Amino acid sequence: MDLVYFEELMFTLAFGGYTLSAVVFFVFVAMKKDKVGKAAIGLTLFGFGIHTVAIILRVIESGRLPFTNQFEFATSFAWGIVLCYLVLHFAYRFTGVGAFVMPIAFLVMGYASMLPKEIKPLMPALQSGWLYLHVGTAVISYGSFAVAAGLAAMYIIGERQKATGDGRTVLPKSEVCDYLSYRVIAFGYLMLTLVIVTGAIWAKYAWSRYWAWDPKETWSLITWLIYSVYIHLRFNRGWKGKPAAWFAVIGFISVIFTFIGVNNILPSIHSYR
Amino acid sequence: MTIDKFIRRLTSLGLAITLFIFIAAYSIIGTVLPQGLQREFYIESYPSLGSIITTLQFDQVYSSWIFRILLFLFIVNLSGCTLRILPGQLKKMNKDHFPKPKLDGDNLRAENMDLQKFRGILEKKRYAIVEDEKGFKASKHRIGNIGSSVTHLGIIIIILGSFVGNIFAQEGFFNMLPGDIKGFPEYGFSLRLDDFRLGFRDNGTVDQYYSDVTVLRPGGEQFGDTMWVNNPLKVDKVDFFQTSYGWASSLSILGPDGDEENGLLRNGESYFYQPGHLTVYLYGYFPNMTLTSQGEPLTMTEQELNPYYAVILYEFGNHVASEILEPGQELQYKDYTLIFQDSELYTGITYRRDFGYIFVMLGSFLMTLGLIFSFYFYPKHIQVEENSIRTITRQNTWGFDYQVKQMVQQSTGKEE
Ligand code: HEM
Repeated sequence: MDLVYFEELMFTLAFGGYTLSAVVFFVFVAMKKDKVGKAAIGLTLFGFGIHTVAIILRVIESGRLPFTNQFEFATSFAWGIVLCYLVLHFAYRFTGVGAFVMPIAFLVMGYASMLPKEIKPLMPALQSGWLYLHVGTAVISYGSFAVAAGLAAMYIIGERQKATGDGRTVLPKSEVCDYLSYRVIAFGYLMLTLVIVTGAIWAKYAWSRYWAWDPKETWSLITWLIYSVYIHLRFNRGWKGKPAAWFAVIGFISVIFTFIGVNNILPSIHSYR
Repeated sequence: MTIDKFIRRLTSLGLAITLFIFIAAYSIIGTVLPQGLQREFYIESYPSLGSIITTLQFDQVYSSWIFRILLFLFIVNLSGCTLRILPGQLKKMNKDHFPKPKLDGDNLRAENMDLQKFRGILEKKRYAIVEDEKGFKASKHRIGNIGSSVTHLGIIIIILGSFVGNIFAQEGFFNMLPGDIKGFPEYGFSLRLDDFRLGFRDNGTVDQYYSDVTVLRPGGEQFGDTMWVNNPLKVDKVDFFQTSYGWASSLSILGPDGDEENGLLRNGESYFYQPGHLTVYLYGYFPNMTLTSQGEPLTMTEQELNPYYAVILYEFGNHVASEILEPGQELQYKDYTLIFQDSELYTGITYRRDFGYIFVMLGSFLMTLGLIFSFYFYPKHIQVEENSIRTITRQNTWGFDYQVKQMVQQSTGKEE
């Protein structure tokens, strides 16, 4: 039997699972029925499990972690988003958050599904243990920022609902979204710091320079600066609520640009080819 | 503006955020505009903006004065700010310090809870407990107070360390053929390339590049090592990095009187032969050649399975011949005979000596440690009185309340 075939099948099933779960989450938010929420979480768990199997199959086929080209990073990124979401869900049980996070996972999976999936041998510069630390922390960091952006979107919409006087809602309290968004960003920020540090160490081994102002490096720094501003405004100026929520969204746009934009628009030794 | 006010401005968070934004914006320009090209390029490509680009040094953003001034201001701002907040943070580290609860904070006390049990839970969670007249005060993770300063210090060390390191850094690039010796008198050793090898995958593509080298010291002492991409060689304080490779091919030119000249050419290099006013340009050596659909030569792999040379010949600067030659095949032009053969792989090695890296690593460690302190070992205080339980924390008010509520729940005796 062909592992590649099963991997693609599992990937497609997971994509389907995430898509359905996003839809069911919307239904949950609209109908406010607990059962629907449970179903959405079930679908997410199903998608995540299958996705994990797809990734494991790929690890078996290639003999390494799936971190080495755009497709592999995109699928891992989506996996990281769902992982972070599930951790948050089982810690606090705010089912509604899924309505805002799963669409992001769906989009990233959709992006992954359009990319070439073949397994290529690693070019010499990628043959390093630092690759796994560097990209592994990136998956977790970006996943957290996605969840934080989802929470922020939820805050913004929750506030709007309050304004229109639609009292009954299954979304967690806005204040809670606001706090959680901050905490999740703090975690993502710590991870992003590690992404940059491990990247610098690796660059030192592979290219002799720990920092070379390559567009990918620079954009990760810009993302980091954006979240640095966020953290200071929040911690020192007591920023919260709407401006903070918009900021979380902008930070995530920078994350996406660092991942997709830099690879496709800007010239870089980092863009996987 | 008084000096006092000036210093306050200089060390303010407002300035910090302005600088963050400027540094980010300036960096973005550097990723969008090609960097480090000739002035003329910018003038021609961006007719209306060319002079702005070169005046504001947008063509070399990261080494421009503007960028350095921004970073300098940033360092001053950050150091000043950290010095300003540090005394207060140290005071809060002291066991006697206990912050006042917010007046409008929630009272987390539950009706039917057992305060003694609650206290037991806090003790088990390693809270330091101090009695007072109305009840007790519990504190934990005072270390979190200095988290931000540790992070700030780390960043200062990174920026200064890399800046000073770059000023003194020595680096260079050189090519070597097997057998070559490259001397580094300033470092007191030489490097001999014993062999350069390609590691091939099954499909013939290159998996890795290996340079086998021997380090020779004046006393006759020597040791051998192999470097490859991601495995640099460290000799004393200098690092050597496997960077590139290529083919060097020998060219022999025979004149009418049997005289012979020899040269070694890399792909894309030319050799000028004075007697015939000939320029021999080696377009490329193709160890496993194929032709593209446009008829361009191309090598499929670096294995010498089907080797050919693409050679272009000029006389007095005018193109006179383009040939594809086998190794050893003679190319006749007028009275002259050209032969290409014995291609050999050479290695390209970068070396760099930079003590800044140690500081960057130290700074990175402190920065990360400080973040962990700030976010996960943030100071937690609980004031317990007969009728109230109030939490005091800056970092994670909601999450901390959530934890304390759970502990309160546990001490109602309903759970467990
Ligand atoms: C990229 C550089 C910087 C990083 C990574 C950084 C990081 C941090 C972190 C992690 C915190 C703790 C926040 C929290 O607990 O939520 C903090 C606090 C703080 N930072 Fe920065 N910071 C940077 C630059 C600056 C600069 C330039 C200033 C200059 C004014 C500054 C001023 C402050 C202040 C006043 C605090 C609050 C400290 C306290 O009250 O305990 N930071 N910083």
